[in-house]
Amino acid sequence: MTVELFGPARALAGRALIEIAVDEPTDLPGFLAALTAALPAFVGEIVTAERDAFIAPNLLLLDGARAVEGGVRFSAADRPCVLFLASGG
Amino acid sequence: MRYAGPRTVLEIDLTLGTSARYDLEDAVFRAVLGGVGLAVWLIERSVHGPLDPLGPANLLVFAAGPFASTPVPAANKHAVATISPLTGLLNEGLSSSHWSAVLRRCGLAALVVRGTAARWTTLVVDNGEVRFEDAAPLLGASASVTTKRLREMLGDRTARVCAIGPAGEAGVRFATLDNDGRQAGRGGSGAVMGAKRLKAIVLRGRGRVRLADPERTAAIAGMIRARALGPATAKYRVTGTGANLRVLARMGQLPARNFTAATFDAVERVTPERARESRGEYTELRAGCAGCPVQCEHMYVRKGRAGAPAAASEYESVWAFGPNCGVAELDAVLDAIAACDAAGLDTISTGAAIAFGMECAERGLIDPDAFGSPLRFGNAAVLLPAIAAIAARLGLGATLALGVRAAAAVIGSAADAFAMHAKGLELPGYEPRALPTYALGLATCTRGACHNRAATYDRDLRAPGGERDDALRAQDAIDAEDYAAVWDALVLCKFIRDCFGDFYAEAAALWGAVTGLEIDAAGLRAAAQHHWQRKRAINARLGWTRSDDVLPPRLFEPIVDGPLAGLRVEPERLARLQQQYESLRVRAPFATVAAP
Repeated sequence: MTVELFGPARALAGRALIEIAVDEPTDLPGFLAALTAALPAFVGEIVTAERDAFIAPNLLLLDGARAVEGGVRFSAADRPCVLFLASGG
Repeated sequence: MRYAGPRTVLEIDLTLGTSARYDLEDAVFRAVLGGVGLAVWLIERSVHGPLDPLGPANLLVFAAGPFASTPVPAANKHAVATISPLTGLLNEGLSSSHWSAVLRRCGLAALVVRGTAARWTTLVVDNGEVRFEDAAPLLGASASVTTKRLREMLGDRTARVCAIGPAGEAGVRFATLDNDGRQAGRGGSGAVMGAKRLKAIVLRGRGRVRLADPERTAAIAGMIRARALGPATAKYRVTGTGANLRVLARMGQLPARNFTAATFDAVERVTPERARESRGEYTELRAGCAGCPVQCEHMYVRKGRAGAPAAASEYESVWAFGPNCGVAELDAVLDAIAACDAAGLDTISTGAAIAFGMECAERGLIDPDAFGSPLRFGNAAVLLPAIAAIAARLGLGATLALGVRAAAAVIGSAADAFAMHAKGLELPGYEPRALPTYALGLATCTRGACHNRAATYDRDLRAPGGERDDALRAQDAIDAEDYAAVWDALVLCKFIRDCFGDFYAEAAALWGAVTGLEIDAAGLRAAAQHHWQRKRAINARLGWTRSDDVLPPRLFEPIVDGPLAGLRVEPERLARLQQQYESLRVRAPFATVAAP
């Protein structure tokens, strides 16, 4: 599965795209496990130490538009993006 | 226990050349907290009806953050409030760093300036002494040069200076106030200071700021500081806010060419991340506010460009001169930002004014050669001459210096249809047509089109277009306004928002430790509601009515490009949301505090 990275995730990975090994379709826990296996440096920086959630304000949006909640399953065709959203300065 | 911090208000009358002091009672701090809450409370007592923002009756209020000059990180900040020459309504904003801290070390909770000086003046608050000095030798200087000269004159490199640049002297309606390289940017507070013939305010203060409970304060502050060095602020420390460009481009909601498009193909040529990733092509400088562990400012200049200053690469500034003007040259955008900082201009409003001018020129409404280089979308070469003309109010620059609302009225020919503002304040770089709650907040915000007072766009962005029940959106907007109001009254930098777990509870504990006045989470929320009501009351006295809570006509037209094409602000839906918002707002109780 190809994942698009933005902001701190991209800076930490050193690249805009990452390939992760995961059975599709997957859900958020499966995605996080595969993502942190591919990029262990994300643990504690982008993903919690327990690898069960993103550290705010990082999050996963499908095609840059839809947040993944609950048991929603998705695949590479949904174009997962790891990015950050925080409003107001 | 009594309020532990400085409680003195210093009032300056520039017309009379006098100063006076009085102390605030604990009840005031309990009700308004500090920062924006205090500044707005002080303004409220002076507004009895419509007034000329550039006249002597308008106050310019500086109110310290209640955590400034304490161990609390990201809290050396102060509020500025006045009546805006752009909107004719209340304008409140924030600045930060050493000047904020020294305001409290001068023993002051707030500094209030009224009147108009007979000649250009520098106000010096030198510990307990107030002096009015001739500012004529400083005219025409940028804020940074003014600071340097004043420090030389005083023989004190640590003197802290808040100043206006040439744009503020000239009365550009979106001129800024600058201190320590930080700006109170929006709404034209710099024009108000210029109209008072006040070039600068110098602070020298070495007093100690007392804490109610130093140990408890240190414990909470230490916890926040540790979190602020972790992933919760990585965006600001690692990439800076300029990283929003790629994110919003990916989402198909990066406003471009005066909001005629929601995509910008050349985003990779203008994102500041490109400079950071260039591995040696650019010099990066880091900066930030005094006492802040985040140091969010990422400044860039291409190596080998002799004499070119490094420019801040904040998202809003890069967006304003990049995508919004259709310009795809990062160096030109950085130069435009640096030029605005030198002149003392708000980058959002300046970029918006130029983009508006570009569209007017392309429609044949104004001379496209007014600034020498053609005034058209994508022409990087026109940015600097346009900024210079605006700052000096020369030719077409004088019209654009009024802000897009007033400029559209001067230009006529239905130019107001694409003048992108709300209540006179130019729109920031988010696409309201894809963000229904944000659109509501822009319409209702007491300040005009502000992305920091009703900052709901991150919630909207999780589901652009809006599956969320509209019945909840009005409450979302109110929650966001109240949340921002507490941050702005405590004057904590919102970039550490994710360093709190339960913000209201933890902030209440911090307030109690620092000030000695106990409050709980519900009390903070109630104070925020009162702040909003006070702002609304001031605006009502100035002539605001609900019919002013409108959005630019362009936003009622559909987005024409990208994945969100077809989305628009639906007038009936917006009206329904506004009714729900008003209904929820009027239910809140309103407590007043007697004037001292």
